[in-house]
This record gives sequence, structure tokens and C-alpha cells, in this order.
Amino acid sequence: MNAFDFAAPTSVEDAVKLLDGQNTAALAGGTDLLGRIKDQVTSPQRVVYLKDIKASSGISGDAGSGLTIGAGTLLAAIVEHKAIREAYPALWQSTTEVGTPQIRNMATLGGNLLQRPRCWYFRAGNGLLAMKDGKSLVRGGDNRYHAIFMTDGDALYVNPSSLAVPLIALGATATIKGPKGERTVPVEDLYQVPRTDKDSELSVASGELLTKVMIPPARGKNASYEVRQKQAHDWPFVLASVNLTMDGDKVSASRIVIYGVAPVPWRSNAAEKSITGKPVTMETAAVAGEDATEGAMPLSMNAYKVSLTKTAVKRALLAAVGNRYWEV
Amino acid sequence: MRRHDPNNNNGGAPGHSRRDFLRGSGLAAASAVLTGGATAAVEEAGAVQEVGPKVVSSAVEITLKVNGQEHKATVEPRTTLLDTLRNRLDVTGPKRVCDRASCGACTTIVDGAPVYSCTTLAITCQGKTIETLESFDVGEKGVPHAFHQNDALMCGYCTPGFVTACKAMLDKNPNPTLEEVRKGLDGNICRCGTYIGVLQAALNAAKAMKGA
Repeated sequence: MNAFDFAAPTSVEDAVKLLDGQNTAALAGGTDLLGRIKDQVTSPQRVVYLKDIKASSGISGDAGSGLTIGAGTLLAAIVEHKAIREAYPALWQSTTEVGTPQIRNMATLGGNLLQRPRCWYFRAGNGLLAMKDGKSLVRGGDNRYHAIFMTDGDALYVNPSSLAVPLIALGATATIKGPKGERTVPVEDLYQVPRTDKDSELSVASGELLTKVMIPPARGKNASYEVRQKQAHDWPFVLASVNLTMDGDKVSASRIVIYGVAPVPWRSNAAEKSITGKPVTMETAAVAGEDATEGAMPLSMNAYKVSLTKTAVKRALLAAVGNRYWEV
Repeated sequence: MRRHDPNNNNGGAPGHSRRDFLRGSGLAAASAVLTGGATAAVEEAGAVQEVGPKVVSSAVEITLKVNGQEHKATVEPRTTLLDTLRNRLDVTGPKRVCDRASCGACTTIVDGAPVYSCTTLAITCQGKTIETLESFDVGEKGVPHAFHQNDALMCGYCTPGFVTACKAMLDKNPNPTLEEVRKGLDGNICRCGTYIGVLQAALNAAKAMKGA
């Protein structure tokens, strides 16, 4: 690991001041950042430790009025939170499946949202777009874990945050503090698609700090379904989160978001359109899953993700209405 | 501070071990840094906890509370808790295997929660309670005994991590189901594949800890 300067502020204001400058990095759980520093993918001159900022951790509010989760809140605390488990199962389920017990005791919500992509070409130091001599290493190489949507572009990695997906489905917002003040944006706006290797995939600038996430009151039904290779340790292949507003037994509005298929959390307008106005049944859910793959352009090694997307969307929809037929 | 094996009190051979040598040279390097004008950095390190946003730029002396005892160690900001325990404090229970928060061999209990010490900076652990398996009960009611009795290891390199994760899990949930044991030990990997023995050891240790 390269050496760095270190500071442990106790207030958000001090942290923002310390982060302002070239080549700084914010450290919370460290489960992503320290690995990147060891591998010299990231070599900050100054690391600003955020876990001493008491104000940025903790969960307040309830399902009726909406929840505020501090960016420094441990994933373990989200798993143990009763209201999240009962009213926001989409978020709870995904949080229980992040990493391992040790990871969830270290990692924070903010760190999960702002972790860097796991693309192995990026992690080997080839940059986000992984271009070499004008050619994409991903397109011509091992792309089994890469995107199936937006693959006409140059960014082929997948967004690594499995908590962004349920949060976007739930309509959550994120508050960011920087030298120029505070702004609150929908969680989906934390992410952007880089056009060159100098661009970041995150809209949060390096001198800015994500301070909290707010989830609107829980209305309707929500659920997540993950398809994974290993039961623990790893990121999912594909994850679908759904949030349904019901009118009787019919869906009157829906948000369906998919992980593992695009360089950003993938909001599936096609699946949303497909299920809206209908009751959730085995048939309508299967059709919505089918529709969710509309426009998918898999790479040479990841066509299997098209099938996984169908299944994940179908099962997330059915889980939302309490039909877990696959558990029988 | 030499406690590799709590049952072995015969003192061993006199002289210098390789570890003593490495530790000694590490301290020599650290004091070289200190004489190089780092006294200010030490003062700053003291201020990190109390005054606020001071920046630490080189090796500093920190105090860690490990297994109930306070130890001083000189570390750089980048030094991990694992390397500090093993190389500075001679607490060698936690093992350095993947060094990437993936395998679980370095598992250490910090403020009651099992974490990967390879991916935790030592400088962030001041004032926290750090427990390693050196402090565990090695009697018949302890987790290590259950591992021994259930053949829960082959090469043994993952074992300290498993024992630590198991102890932390049982402290929180003294009556786990098999499914809860599986979930609780998700963060550790055994390349020899002794999982059947490990799961049984965890269930037996739960019984033994209750005095059954």
C-alpha cells in the first residue's frame, strides 16, 4: 500500500474541508477503498476517515413518514432495523446479501453506493473504459460479468452497488455536501456514464460528501430478488427490485430497477409499462420479465444474463405480492 | 507478550526468534522516523481524537486495547490492524491470507463485532475493544475445543478466523440453528473443505458454552 496522510474529522464540515484538494479519498468501512489502494488502482495522498462523524450515521423516521439513513450507517444496522425489514423488504433483502457478516459490520450505506466498479479490467489498472490501442479489452476479452444493456457505448462494466437498485425502486434521494453547499438528488443521479477514461462514473465530485439517504413513506408493495453464483462473499449476477403502487389487486404504478446489466442501475421502463394496469400473476410477471429484456445486447460471453433478467424481474414481482413459488 | 500457545509454558529455547528480529528492526525503523522530526506528528496523532481535523503525515504512536491489555505501537496511517497485531504486538492468532477482506482468516472482534483486520486501519482502532482468539476459553466449554473435537480443520490456516467468527456469532446468538450458523460463518473460507466439521463444532460449542 502506498503511504498517505490521514485525518479523522468529527464533523461533516471539517470532512468537506479536508476532502477539498487534489487526490483525496473518503474512507468509511474501507472494504472497497483499502483494497484499491493495496492494488494501486487508487493512490490517494490524503485519506479522510469518516466513521468518527457521529452525525452521519443512524436511522430515523418510520415507514409512515419515510426514513432517513445516514451515509455512515453500517449495513449490519440496516439488517437489524425492524421497520426496514417490515416496510422496505426490497432494501432489507439486498442488504442481508451484501458480502459477509464481517463486511456488513464494516461497510456503510454511503460506501456501498459509491464503491467503484468490480470490472476486472478496471481493477487491473486499465481504466473504466478499459481501452487499449483503441480497442475495448472487455469486448474482445472475458466479459462474462459485464453489461447487456447500453453495450453500444464504451462503458461496459456494471454498476457495483446492489443497494442503489432497491433504493431507486423505492424513490430514495441522496444528500451531498460540498464546498459549494448542499444538494439533494434522486439516488439514480449519483451515477453517470463516463465518455472518456478521465470521467468518473460517479456524479459526486472528489471533494464532496454523501451525507444521507431519504426513503419516502412505504406505500404499496416492494421486493428484491437476486440471482447469485455464491450464497455469500460475492456480488449478485443480476438483481431486480420492484416497488408497486396497488389499486385493488391491480398495479397502478411501478418502478422496476435491475442490477448487473448496465453501467448504471437499470430502470426498466419496458417492464414497468408491461405490469402497470394488471394484477401480478405468474403469467403477467413472466411477460414483464420477458419485456424487461427488450433492447438487451449481450456481449460475447454474457447472454445468460438475459435469461437471469427475465427470472429476476418475474420473481421480484411475485415476491412483492407474497408468491414465493420457488421456495416450495 | 509472547503467547503463541497458552498451554506451553516451558519457555522454549533462549535466544532470538525470527519474529523478534523482524519486530526489533521494525521498531528501529520507526524510531528513525521519529528522530526525523516526527515529534509533531505524534502530538497531532494525540489530537486526532480530541481536537479535530489534524492531518497525520507519518508514523505515530497509538494505543490499542487488545484482549484487555493496553499496548503502544508505532504505526503509519496505512498500517492495517492485522499487521499491527502480528508484527508489532506479536498477537499472531489472526492470519494474513488474502489481505483483501475476502477469506476471513484475519477475523478479529472489534467492539463486539467480527471484522476483517486486514482491511481495517490500526489508527482507526484507538479506544476500541479488540479481541483475538488468544483471549478465548481453551477449556472444554470453549470454541477451540469444539473445533478440535469435531475435526474442524485440516491445514489449519483458516481455523483462527473461523474460531473467532464462531465465537462472535455465539456471543450474539447463543442458540443458533444450522441455517444461522451457516449465515454467521459466511465470511470465512476453508480451502480444505472442512465445513461439515466447522458447522458441527459451532453447534456443539453453542451447547458447551451453556454448560450442557
